Amino acid sequence: MFPSLRRDIGFPVIGSLVMFAVLFGGGMIYQTILGNGSAERLVTTMLIDAIIVIGIQIYIGNTGILSFGHIGFGAVAGYAFAVFAISPAEKLKRIPMAPFGLSDIQVDPAIAIVIAVLITLVFAFVVGIGLARSGAQSGSVAATVITLALLFVSHEVAKSWPELTGGNRGGISFAIGESLQSRWPVLVALFGALLVARLYGQSRSGRLAIAAREDNLAARAMGVNPIVQQMVALLLSVVIVSIGSALRVWQIGSILPDRFFFDYAMLTLVMLIVGGRNSVSGAVLGVGVMTAARELARRLGQDGFEAFGVGLDEAPLDWIFRENLNSIVLGVAMVAFMIWRPKGILEDWEFDRWLYEKFGRGNETKPERLSELETIPNAEFSASGISVSFGGFNALTEAGIKARGGEIVGIIGPNGAGKTTFVNVITGMVQPTAGEFSIGTADLTGKQSFELSRSGLVRTFQNLRLFGALTVRENVEISALVAQEHRSDRVLRDTDALIAEAGLWDHRDRRARELDYGNSRRLELARAAAMAPSFMLLDEPTSGMSDSESITMIEQVRHMAATVGAGVIVIDHDLGFITGISDRIYVFDQGQVIAQGTPAEVQANEIVQAAYLGTAAH
Amino acid sequence: MTGLLQNLIDGLGRGSIYALLALGVAVVFGIMHMLNFAHGELITIPGYLTYWAFNNGWTWWTVIPLIIISAVLSSLLIERVAFSRVRGATDFTMLLTSFGVHFIVSAGFLLYVSASVKPIPRPGWFANTVSVGSLNIEVFDLVVIGVTAVVLAGTTWLLQRTMFGLSLRAAASDFDTARLMGVKSDSVIRGAFALSGFLAGIAGVFWIMREGQVTPTAGINPMLQGVLAVLIGGLGSLRGAVLGGLVLGLAEVLLRSWLPLGIQNLTTGFVFLMIALLFIFRPGGLLSVPQVERV
Amino acid sequence: MLEVKGLTTKYGAISALRDASLSVGEGEVIGLIGPNGAGKTTLLGSIAGLLPIDSGTISFDGADITSAAPDKIVRSGLSLVPEHRRIFADMTVEENLKIGGVTISAAERGPLLIEMSELFPVLQKKWSTAAGYLSGGEAQQLAIARALMSKPKVVMMDEPSLGLAPILVDQVFDLIETLRSQGRTILVVEQNATRMLKAADRAYVLRSGEVVATGTGEELLERSDLFDTFVGG
Repeated sequence: MFPSLRRDIGFPVIGSLVMFAVLFGGGMIYQTILGNGSAERLVTTMLIDAIIVIGIQIYIGNTGILSFGHIGFGAVAGYAFAVFAISPAEKLKRIPMAPFGLSDIQVDPAIAIVIAVLITLVFAFVVGIGLARSGAQSGSVAATVITLALLFVSHEVAKSWPELTGGNRGGISFAIGESLQSRWPVLVALFGALLVARLYGQSRSGRLAIAAREDNLAARAMGVNPIVQQMVALLLSVVIVSIGSALRVWQIGSILPDRFFFDYAMLTLVMLIVGGRNSVSGAVLGVGVMTAARELARRLGQDGFEAFGVGLDEAPLDWIFRENLNSIVLGVAMVAFMIWRPKGILEDWEFDRWLYEKFGRGNETKPERLSELETIPNAEFSASGISVSFGGFNALTEAGIKARGGEIVGIIGPNGAGKTTFVNVITGMVQPTAGEFSIGTADLTGKQSFELSRSGLVRTFQNLRLFGALTVRENVEISALVAQEHRSDRVLRDTDALIAEAGLWDHRDRRARELDYGNSRRLELARAAAMAPSFMLLDEPTSGMSDSESITMIEQVRHMAATVGAGVIVIDHDLGFITGISDRIYVFDQGQVIAQGTPAEVQANEIVQAAYLGTAAH
Repeated sequence: MTGLLQNLIDGLGRGSIYALLALGVAVVFGIMHMLNFAHGELITIPGYLTYWAFNNGWTWWTVIPLIIISAVLSSLLIERVAFSRVRGATDFTMLLTSFGVHFIVSAGFLLYVSASVKPIPRPGWFANTVSVGSLNIEVFDLVVIGVTAVVLAGTTWLLQRTMFGLSLRAAASDFDTARLMGVKSDSVIRGAFALSGFLAGIAGVFWIMREGQVTPTAGINPMLQGVLAVLIGGLGSLRGAVLGGLVLGLAEVLLRSWLPLGIQNLTTGFVFLMIALLFIFRPGGLLSVPQVERV
Repeated sequence: MLEVKGLTTKYGAISALRDASLSVGEGEVIGLIGPNGAGKTTLLGSIAGLLPIDSGTISFDGADITSAAPDKIVRSGLSLVPEHRRIFADMTVEENLKIGGVTISAAERGPLLIEMSELFPVLQKKWSTAAGYLSGGEAQQLAIARALMSKPKVVMMDEPSLGLAPILVDQVFDLIETLRSQGRTILVVEQNATRMLKAADRAYVLRSGEVVATGTGEELLERSDLFDTFVGG
């Protein structure tokens, strides 16, 4: 169940500590071996980069939306920090005319960081609304362009508002000796960032965001509102990025528009991509690898190639190894990874989860069988007079069905009969031109898909939409998380027990995308059942199944529905399956309900035979 | 009144260049569903060739074809080397691939040419103006508007009347069905990149003339304006892209003239603010194309 | 003319088609029937080169076309009218037809366009209308005409009567009859089994991705177990 103290809190804390130790330790070793000031600076820079990259990971990793804009937020935070933390004496040199009397203000750097975070959060909230609106309309591509524009505009404003920012040439700087002298603030912030990132990833909001990343449509069908979770991820990630950016300014001792622009956006993104954007461990690895690679490239560019006494300084390769080689390394790394390993080195492997699987879980015993639940007698699903027309074509004409609590109702009809349109209407994908549907007294017409599932009508998908990167258990837990909040008036079944009931206990820790077809179908069923639905809506549950598989499916559907006390509305083309499973059947043809009754009645109905075989003209 | 008219012509000139860039981005997006963040490099690369050509005694008459041809070839080369390998990949992968290409090209010029600004001589007529009544119209704006009108008309003809244009439109609306008809996916995608490169080349001629210089990061601005114009117009619509470009150009010029003197240098910021408002209130862009969600 | 042997096609873990074989002779009208989800559409898609084939071979006119690119297959004389018609909605009727003839020369295309306008008078009336504004029946005719524009030796049709009113279904079958009388070879996937069996020379019955019965139309019409095949009894 969620949250598990060990899995969702204990191990992430341990994992964060270990990752922190590895990154910091590795840096210290390098610094000790070289023993000079530039190595020390390099290590501090790496640790600060790590904070910012982890911050970006919280957004990109959990939502799957590519953002360039986090460095733009970084610029806002960096300037805010600089303007507040730099002494009035220094500001007098650069920005004596700063608006709002800012040139006279000086606060403690720690407080300046807090102010910077708050200011940036306001920006992030506004931008987040725009991202959500256009993302919902035009997909993540539009959202990405908005983040790119944000990066650009922050740079543009920084350049062209010299009264506040010191402009493009001078910028603003700390007095000598006032820049960051101690490494402690960086270490504290880095550990904090790791902790926040990992705990968020395991948290309710993090899991729901990841579900939406894996399959937005399926997440909404399980009652997740992706817009809310993406906003949470954005704000959290902006906090971390802001802290990192303020530290970056503090360490460098000054800020210029170009410090938070394309080059730095590129660097941080490459670090994230190379290691694996979907995991915090990947982000940390990427920071290490890219820092090392860039340092190597820089040295090659400076000194030519020299190792083990073999020097190539004046050698033919000199045309490659030049100053600034490291910026090419970045571009090549990005394109190469996108082509050959788009998910990065670690993909979505996470250190503390691996540790938990290895050592933390202990022996699990298979849960006891669940007894069947009483159905709620007054839960009646009713759809009436549903009509849909697309550009003059009537896909549905006054179609309606009724299903009582605990009843299994089948819908059949030949291809093009309007079944799919009917499903689309009662799952909130298509708005009907007329008609209404409800559960009990709750009118559901016009509701969004996540509202429908929260109201108790939970669907499955014809073409299987599982959260592929999540394990069987995590898939089911997503629904349970939503059910805990929105279905608390119902009996909520233990997720592990539901997994066992679905016959998936032995596969509980496998990723959903690794399951074979039959198990995937069973998982979809278990995931829907964990929502504690009043009605499960199964959309072609046997498509792609052989006859024998379809027959076993009958028993499984009945059993899962009874276990959570839900009624079932099942749409299928397979009359054998439908007659085998249903208490009552509705037959659709030409967008209308042409017959209804018990399986025997329907099978004997001549109109039905005609519709299916075309034995008679309509 | 004359001020407004003056601004309109000025904005139309600016917007024409954006429209050409946006149309190039939109053509590739239509066929591959990739927003090409490397589109600006189709100006940077010819820009450096222009610099080289002038140093070797070329003149604008020979440089103009050089710019257009090199833009087309660069577009095809980039498709071959990078984009052809990520066809059909996720949005995330394609966006970052194009961004990586942008970065490689600009870093390459930084590394192997110079970080400094390379000047390019403007043509002699560049600063000329003609007076119509009380209006002082820049010849450059007139040329840009005229050439753009011709190019857009030509592109429309290409898309409406030639088999290549029909194939391109068919493939953009339903790639698989276009293949079923016998449209070759390789040819149509390369054709789209060639067209995109050609449009960028025309825009590039004007861009390079106007800037009078080239730097390693010269591609960022044209790319961003092109991509934004596509979004303003509505992702997935070619007409929208052209409209978006014109609107963006006009908005820039008009805002600059309306803003009080003290904050005129923040024009870009205000333009973006307006775009942000547009996205919040009309998230699909001006000519929004309904996105059908498939189950 | 068209030989399919042991074809297996998968979508991820799902076998949509298992070891399916069929043959089509010159001038024949072949029906392909079976319940929804039986793999009929997959079979046509595999032949047309749109879907990756796991195993099996497809030969056409003596040449092996297994896993060939779709444009090669069209050029070799095999053309598909896809399910749901898939006409290019924002292009005109004329443009749709031209795209159908993308594989033939411009000189051949002109006369063929005239031929299509004569064969499909409905389309002639809407020649310059965006195809998205056509009714279902008109759109189906356009989809068939478009497929004929590549001068195919064999036309494959995927559910041509789908979503059409009964009178329009009659029209589609009349059209198949017309095409047959012109000596064309036709392979039709059809849900309307009885109609199809009456119209076809021979037919194949698919179920769960396998060919479960084959014979002439009359033979299959006689088979009393056919209804069971459809309803899974």
